[in-house]
Amino acid sequence: MDGSLPDPDGMTAETAAGGLVARDVGMVYRRGREVTEALTGCSLEVPRGSWASLIGPSGCGKSTLLRIFADLVHPTSGRATLHGTTPADARANRVFALVSQQSTMLPWRRILENVELGLQVARVSPRERRRTAEEMIELVGLKGFERAYPAELSGGMRQRAAIARALTLRPRFLLMDEPFGALDEITREKLNFELLRILQETGATLLLVTHSISEAIILSDEVAVMSARPGRITKRVPIGFGRDRDRSLRDDPRFAAYEAELRHALHG
Amino acid sequence: MTLPEDVPLTAQPDILPAMARDAAALPPIPWHRLRRIALPLAVLFVALGLWQWITASGRVSPLILASPLAIAEAFGRSGAEILAHMGVTLGQAMAGFAIGNALGLLVAIIFVHSAPIRRAVYPVAIGAEAVPVVAVLPVLILWLGNGMAPKIVITAFLTFFPMLVNALRGLRSADAEVKELMHTLSADARQTLWLVRLPASVPFLFNALKLSACACIVSSIVAEWLAAERGLGHLIVVYGARYQTAEVWATALAATAASLAVYGLVTLAERLAMPWKTR
Ligand SMILES: Nc1ncnc2c1ncn2[C@@H]1O[C@H](COP(=O)(O)OP(=O)(O)O)[C@@H](O)[C@H]1O
Ligand SMILES: [Mg+2]
Repeated sequence: MDGSLPDPDGMTAETAAGGLVARDVGMVYRRGREVTEALTGCSLEVPRGSWASLIGPSGCGKSTLLRIFADLVHPTSGRATLHGTTPADARANRVFALVSQQSTMLPWRRILENVELGLQVARVSPRERRRTAEEMIELVGLKGFERAYPAELSGGMRQRAAIARALTLRPRFLLMDEPFGALDEITREKLNFELLRILQETGATLLLVTHSISEAIILSDEVAVMSARPGRITKRVPIGFGRDRDRSLRDDPRFAAYEAELRHALHG
Repeated sequence: MTLPEDVPLTAQPDILPAMARDAAALPPIPWHRLRRIALPLAVLFVALGLWQWITASGRVSPLILASPLAIAEAFGRSGAEILAHMGVTLGQAMAGFAIGNALGLLVAIIFVHSAPIRRAVYPVAIGAEAVPVVAVLPVLILWLGNGMAPKIVITAFLTFFPMLVNALRGLRSADAEVKELMHTLSADARQTLWLVRLPASVPFLFNALKLSACACIVSSIVAEWLAAERGLGHLIVVYGARYQTAEVWATALAATAASLAVYGLVTLAERLAMPWKTR
């Protein structure tokens, strides 16, 4: 990994065992007689505070790797850690938040109540959680829609609400599985840059699964490319844009070069 | 902060065709509402007219079928009596309804939290549903006397099963994604019950309540039929024995009204309970 990344504590990712680490992770799904080897010897490192994307052919195990970090499935071999702790401990300590493509909302709760859900589960007092939720709703640009029901919002707005909900617990890790995959191109790029701003403000570590090469470039310090199933990380491409990124990013000649490099890595 | 890029359709009147917009400017005439009330009313009046005509023409003995007018007169004569007995029947029905539904929901909650208990008890419960309770009613009356208790027990028994089956389905109806969300939020079983399972089951619970809204009055009446000193069922037996056919019909109509009222209240509660569906 690029050693020049900012590290608040002056430690490298190695010594602090901070960030997201997967070591030789293997994952075999068994459903009856059907056996699917989703991951094999998969290793990944995302230093604390940095942003990484995972791209690869569909079905190669990107979601599986993310779900291992989120403690939704257990790897068959190898191990995954978040800040040196197991996914189960990380979940109990609420150090990560997961945002999925479906922007899962509870249809009977208003947007404000949906955003408050994580705080409510964490037994934060009603006043405090209202305050935090309102703050996050403002951050994602949903002010004025607090009292709407999820069904009354568009997909893009629901996704903003899901991001707001994820941010309420001030997670150190944001795990995102194709969060903008269901959105149109324009909405998607707009949300990309807003997520960028939010990441800059919160300092969270990001692991993003995406099928969009440009999204990966915009949102990453490093893009990891996975092979077809059983998935492994076959190539890591550092993106040297630093932290001051804005919409002019696409005009940078390096953008096209990264794009070409990643396209080649993907399609061989 | 900029405005969200995508505003819901309702906030964009411009995309409505011009004609629709003009129509929307006028106070709308709720034709569909009028039709929804007027058509059934018309059918009802035609049926009543036919009924009156058949009975007045002497084709059917008034002992078998009283005319609508005779039934109206019976209401005038015996309305107070019918109303008093309706109170008893409604009281029993509502008590049984409340107990049966509460128990059904409670057992469903126990079932979703313990697979072993569910596997052991659910088949037995389904088997018990097949018991024709009316057949064991005489035994119940032997045990519990001919007061309100056996009626309440029967009604509770009959409302228990629809609630158990529907609540079980409703409590398990939350999507896999919602369950994963609660898992990543480290929610415990109680939080999942209150924040997800119960709210998700609300439409299912109302299905059960609507199913048993009418059934609870019927079961209460049937139980009164066999042995009671009060209630609409008892009244029907008494009027029948006296060949007061018009009174029998008036009582039956009163029971119908009671059933409809309970059903209507449940439907109203359903709307109030699910504002996210009716907005
Ligand atoms: N719960 C599961 N049971 C069985 N097979 C699964 C399960 N989840 C994913 N798979 C399989 O594992 C492989 C990788 O899936 P996934 O991680 O979702 O890929 P990606 O996100 O890269 O598209 C696929 O072949 C998929 O069918
Ligand atoms: Mg996936």
